[in-house]
Amino acid sequence: MASGSEILHRLEPSAFVYKAIIVAIAADVLLLAFILLRRNYRKYYFRKRDARVFELRQQWDALISGEIPYETWRSKSFDRRIIEDMALDAFEAAAADESARLLRFLRTSGLIEKRIFEARKLKGWRRRSALVALGRTRAPEGIPALSEGLRDRDPEARNAALRGLGRLGSPEAAEEILHWLAESGLNMPILPLQSALINCSRERPQILLPYLQLAGPELREVLARVLGEVAGPSLGAELIGMVDDELPELRAAAARAMSNAQPGHAVEALGELSRDDVWFVRLRSVVAMGKLCNSEGIPHLINALRDSNRLVRMRAAEGLVDFKSEIVSIFTQVVKTGDRYGLHAFIAALENANLLKTLDAELRQPVSSETEGERNELLAVLHTGTLLKPKLATASQPVETAAR
Amino acid sequence: MYLLALIIALKTSATHQRGLESFRLRWITESPLAPPITLLVPAYNEEKSIRVAIRNLLELNYPEIEVIVINDGSKDQTLHELQDEFKLRPTRMVYVQEIASAEIRGLYRSDADPRLLVIDKESAGSKADAVNAGLNAATSPYVCIVDSDSMLERDALLRIMVPVLADPKRVVGVGGIIRILNGSEIRGGQVKRVRLPRKSIEIIQVVEYLRAFLIGREAWAQGNMMLIISGAFGLFRTDLVRAVGGYRAKAIGEDFDLVARLHRYLLEKGEEYRIKFVPDPVCWTEAPSDLKSLGRQRARWHKGLLDALLPNSDMLFRSPYGRVGAVALPYLWIYELFAPIIELGGMVTIVVAAVMGDLNHEFFVQFMIFGYAFATVISIGAVLQEELTYKRYSDWQDVARLVTYCFLEHFPYRQLHMVWRLQGLWQYMRGDMAWKSPARKGLSATTTAP
Repeated sequence: MASGSEILHRLEPSAFVYKAIIVAIAADVLLLAFILLRRNYRKYYFRKRDARVFELRQQWDALISGEIPYETWRSKSFDRRIIEDMALDAFEAAAADESARLLRFLRTSGLIEKRIFEARKLKGWRRRSALVALGRTRAPEGIPALSEGLRDRDPEARNAALRGLGRLGSPEAAEEILHWLAESGLNMPILPLQSALINCSRERPQILLPYLQLAGPELREVLARVLGEVAGPSLGAELIGMVDDELPELRAAAARAMSNAQPGHAVEALGELSRDDVWFVRLRSVVAMGKLCNSEGIPHLINALRDSNRLVRMRAAEGLVDFKSEIVSIFTQVVKTGDRYGLHAFIAALENANLLKTLDAELRQPVSSETEGERNELLAVLHTGTLLKPKLATASQPVETAAR
Repeated sequence: MYLLALIIALKTSATHQRGLESFRLRWITESPLAPPITLLVPAYNEEKSIRVAIRNLLELNYPEIEVIVINDGSKDQTLHELQDEFKLRPTRMVYVQEIASAEIRGLYRSDADPRLLVIDKESAGSKADAVNAGLNAATSPYVCIVDSDSMLERDALLRIMVPVLADPKRVVGVGGIIRILNGSEIRGGQVKRVRLPRKSIEIIQVVEYLRAFLIGREAWAQGNMMLIISGAFGLFRTDLVRAVGGYRAKAIGEDFDLVARLHRYLLEKGEEYRIKFVPDPVCWTEAPSDLKSLGRQRARWHKGLLDALLPNSDMLFRSPYGRVGAVALPYLWIYELFAPIIELGGMVTIVVAAVMGDLNHEFFVQFMIFGYAFATVISIGAVLQEELTYKRYSDWQDVARLVTYCFLEHFPYRQLHMVWRLQGLWQYMRGDMAWKSPARKGLSATTTAP
């Protein structure tokens, strides 16, 4: 009896089509079989896992306290993985006392040591998984292993190590990240890097400064953004120095930082930045000025209302409406600029802050410095949103490009 | 081509899944540097679903969002529903018409949630015009265009931002996956239990969507040649959308048209950029559940395809346009636009050959069997991709039905599909550009699983 391949050979030209049909049908069958087997296996695995989780959960206190000897489960990888997951999940949600107890358990049971070993010795997904777990423990003894993970060739492993260090939130972890950045340059997604550095350098932002001065432009931008978030009063002088930096990102970051650090001369520095050539620098300085809520910044904010960029106008208006006690005088000055875009931005900000009625009421009071005629004109402008009288609007053209 | 796409898609999904293993979305929500997003939601006669849809959007998990609903001259109670639900009040905010759109009737800010802005405008008869009006009011560096009859999963924005945050300088647009809502259980504006729909025509669409998104888009995006980001859920860099002049107001396939123009703009400028697809930020949408509505939709899609391909035909095989001009656009012309004509030509040839006695019956049968088995491999591949990665259909019966329809969709659905697409071409030739919206139940209607 002829074999299948012999029959196909005899078919000659049509053999190719038959072969193609067989391959296609076999592929269909294999795909279906794979789906079927995978579903069954997962069903079996998760049922087994759920049952074990339930059992372990019932013995949780005995497990944590060591009443059940660690040796009984540590060598069984299935149990060890479950217990580690449960402990880490509980650790992330725990209050201070409970997290100290869980960290003690993670240490004494050898789970952290095991993960440090795996993070150093294993490769690929095993190393990645060890780095993630190590990061979740937030144990400082994991820093060297995580730092080695930063030098892995696999970008996902580097990511896991970086996030792990970020979770530690300590200056030591920040130092490791900064060393690595100085060594290898910027070869990571920016957001996790910034987040990790923000977490780690919050306590001691000064550690960023040497790197900020010496790094290349791209890395300087990243570090500047971090500094913008973490800067405190101790960094005042350095921030003022950044106002003249050649990189717009740095000037913008300096502006952002000044709203947190609030150094002396912040308003003057921010005022200078609010006339920068680059729109996002002006935007950041206006936002920062709004946060400072210093009345010396009002002229700068009013000037920014006439900016060519609408986001700058919007943020300037939002900053101005925070000066509630001076709202009448600010409104008068806004009207006097004669800029209808600025006026609209200011009225929209008043509406959003629910201050329209307040301003209306204050304008009706005879105690304000304006004459009755002027008050009526201001009220008309407030209600119509239109600059009615050229008398109030001292002519001035909208600022097309702000000069630095 | 499809087999290659399937292999690329399986590999890409596996990499993406691996990446997510060491990633926590919470890291994005915790970061003070996550960029804000403006959601643009054009709405035309959506009184049935608008409340639920907007509430759903305002509850999305993302650090900073702004929702701009554009009431595109609705003739029903859409604006009233919004006013009622979100306590709208007229606002005199700055609205500069950088991109042309039909006349604005009013701007409203919500007292219930200040993140919500409603633009009431005259209808220009196109979604593109409505989105353009929204673009003028957007204040965030990224805009996400969402259909008001669709439903985003809570973490959809976090997930769609993953490629942007990984490479913010180069990633200019990201598409998410659209899944079919029919048959699933919805409660409080969220999908509570994913089930397959009951009707055959709806299940076939599920298979089609899986194939299109999990294989097609995934593979094209790998080569940075993705030309379609679904209009129901896509994220773009605001400055670039403005730079290309927003949507083309008269475009029928405005989503495709915009992405093609973004490619053109960036390639002409010699910029290094990426347009990405992420398969896990899910947008649920209601699919047509009767043949008439489905036929209209598919005819419109085909009209849109032709409408977007024609103005970009100068990109074909020209060096500045790289792979987009050399591979992606020719593929769309031949395998998508001309596909129904080629299919029809094939059928006519077979019939003529049979009548004239020139048809090799044995080869014909062999070829049909091969075509059938091979096409099924691709569809089952899409189901496998779903199983390996996202596994939304957890019920055994659903998977079995999904697989069954991988075998059943070829007759007579494919032939009907061909007819609808030919209708679309014919309508375009005749200049019939009218938009006929399909009948919908609305998101507030709870669909109970069978």
